[in-house]
Amino acid sequence: MLYERIKGGLRLAAVDQEAAKGKLMTGQNLADARAMLPNLTVREIDRPLLETAFADFADWHSNASPLVSVLTDRAAFGDLVLDITGVAHLFGGELDMLRLLLTRLRTLGYAVAGAVASTVGAAWAASHFARSQVVLGADTAAVLDTLPVAALRLDDEQVAGLSQMGLKRIGQLHARNRKALQARFGISLLTRLDQAYGRIEERLPSRIPVAERYAERRFADPIGLMDDVLMTARDLAITLSIQLETEGLGAQAFHLFLYRVDHKVMTLSVNSGRATRDPQHIARLFSNRSERLEGEYDPGFGVDMIRLAATSVDQLDALQLGAFETHDGTADLDRLYDRMSSRLGAFSVLRTKFVNTHIPEQAVRFEPAIARTTDDPLALPDRDLPRPLRLLPTPEAITVFAEVPYGPPTAMTWRRISYKFVKASGPERLGVEWWRSPERLQLAPPEPDQSSSKPADALTSEPEPDAPRPLPYMEGEQSRDYYIAEDDAGHRFWLFRQGLYGYAPRPDWFLQGFFS
Amino acid sequence: MQALEKQQALAALRDKIAGIVDLPPLHASAVQRSIHSSPSLLSLPGGLLHEIFTDERRNGGAALGFALGSARDLLTSSRPAVIYLQLAREAQEMGLPYGAGLAAFGFDPEALLLIRADTITELLWAAEEAIACRAVAAVIVDVAGQPKALDFTASRRLSLRAAKDGASFFLLRYGTWREASAAQFRWHLRPVLSAETPFDARAPGEPRWLARLEKGAINTSQHEEWLLGWTDHGFERIGDPDNSANRTADRTALPRFVPAGLADGLSKTA
Repeated sequence: MLYERIKGGLRLAAVDQEAAKGKLMTGQNLADARAMLPNLTVREIDRPLLETAFADFADWHSNASPLVSVLTDRAAFGDLVLDITGVAHLFGGELDMLRLLLTRLRTLGYAVAGAVASTVGAAWAASHFARSQVVLGADTAAVLDTLPVAALRLDDEQVAGLSQMGLKRIGQLHARNRKALQARFGISLLTRLDQAYGRIEERLPSRIPVAERYAERRFADPIGLMDDVLMTARDLAITLSIQLETEGLGAQAFHLFLYRVDHKVMTLSVNSGRATRDPQHIARLFSNRSERLEGEYDPGFGVDMIRLAATSVDQLDALQLGAFETHDGTADLDRLYDRMSSRLGAFSVLRTKFVNTHIPEQAVRFEPAIARTTDDPLALPDRDLPRPLRLLPTPEAITVFAEVPYGPPTAMTWRRISYKFVKASGPERLGVEWWRSPERLQLAPPEPDQSSSKPADALTSEPEPDAPRPLPYMEGEQSRDYYIAEDDAGHRFWLFRQGLYGYAPRPDWFLQGFFS
Repeated sequence: MQALEKQQALAALRDKIAGIVDLPPLHASAVQRSIHSSPSLLSLPGGLLHEIFTDERRNGGAALGFALGSARDLLTSSRPAVIYLQLAREAQEMGLPYGAGLAAFGFDPEALLLIRADTITELLWAAEEAIACRAVAAVIVDVAGQPKALDFTASRRLSLRAAKDGASFFLLRYGTWREASAAQFRWHLRPVLSAETPFDARAPGEPRWLARLEKGAINTSQHEEWLLGWTDHGFERIGDPDNSANRTADRTALPRFVPAGLADGLSKTA
């Protein structure tokens, strides 16, 4: 028995068979239920935990069919739906398949109801409101007509409204005027009705990336060691590459699904910068990826099936290795980036991408080398502008002795060491980008004074779409004057003062980079 | 008689072992030859492990500039990439290579790939993996601290890898300590006051370095210390280092007033 806090009251969220015999039902007040059955054991429901557990459970069923989905619109934790088109004959027909899946779960102690039907709606209706059965073809309409309207996956209001009108069975809806029904109950009623009868298509959102190309191996005895898994992955990669080669294809993403004996699926995914089907390369990516797992790898009681699937499939014609091959190294580099990304993570192997802005820390972003996007030709940097070789991801505040307003500083203190400058040049004024000000104003954080005293850390943040930093548009306070200052030991720093004299109460100085 | 046989057997065994191991010697003679024949200053061949020491971490910009300048000579059409490795946690301390700055320095930003590793073990793994790639010209390893994992064994591994695959390592280290390493060259680097600019005596100009070779020899060690300047074509040697050191000492701090031209207050990039 599980209860949940809804609108201040404690209500039953899930009821087991014993309690259902005692005439308890979901939605009931917990106090009432206690009064009816005094020796009740109840626990508060933990929805996130149950949802993840059910999702794992659903994933595991992809060993029966590749397309697994969880419908969460009506039931408490979702309904498991498998698309078994073209799969049933592997299990000896629909009936045997249903029987196999249901008995497998029942022996594990679950209470299960299931149905096989030609539409998702019909299967849902039959499994929830009739006995477990196989409903095929012409039977669909006959079975559906006798079921209550709630079997159409309608919400409570719609069901209540229909029963007020005396429409208890689905079959009664056919005689009604569709336009009137739509006006009274909304389009969703008609959609559900048509979906159940197969008049319109219903798409299932797949939990696991649907892979048309995969290779799998089942084991008589479960295996547990990572080395065994990797060896299998290597074998599967060879099988898969032959399959891809005959079709003239290559893939950019590979997923290794490990089906554990205890109904869990572990997924390892690797990506490749360019489409490939080289089994050695794929196997190596997986072995690199497995080293990044560290303690996460837990085979439980063993793995009894492994599937290697390829997604992001693209055409890859056979290459002729000729005597006159020009070797420009890009293929080697791409493979190197794949290997490094698989071990270190894609966000650790980065290339420079220029963004068309003159705010220095936003002008350069780092993007994963294996997921490179096209460069903006307008964003390329101006070689004549002095820019430092190293940039601090977050500018650091410094104390500065500037004798003259708008003049370069004569000395500074940075990281508790003071530097006396002998050479300096500047200022180079970089104003706020007024043409982005409307977006800025919308995105401005609630405390503008914080953002003005500490420029945002743009370089180390994960590469994201080129959303401008939420700086409020305040020209006087946000404009920066950049100086290059050199101390007597030859260190050359890139400093800036944020805020113009006369606007900002006290201009702040920052150190942003080092020249060579 | 027996002693002679023993010695022969020993010699045969030694030959056999030498055949099996077949490691390149620490100072490959090929290096010396190609340095003699190379026309431009300091354009060293690939396949070497350089250690570049500077005394303090604030010299990081100079060290990176020197490494990039040296690595740029190694870039060819079949080796178009330089890999830069750094520990992710040292990014704020040392700063990240900045693409616009690379372009201003004369290094194609597209040629530099940045790797941010979490641990030194992963960093060394990535360094070895990178050097083994045929398309990599140089690998720059920037380690601010003194991790235990980066010891003689690690540097020997790296130097053997470099010798085998023909790309160079530049290992940037910071501090006055030294430890045993298998590097063919160890540089001690110090930034020097920059070059004069033609129109403004107070503005910083092109970078300069004072590089001293602590280990290894170039040109039969006639010079152990170079004052290097930077041009579009690479390093250039400037005068005698002693004179320039005197010159830097004479330099005084900025006077109180700066020309109005520096402070016109107009935006350059609006």
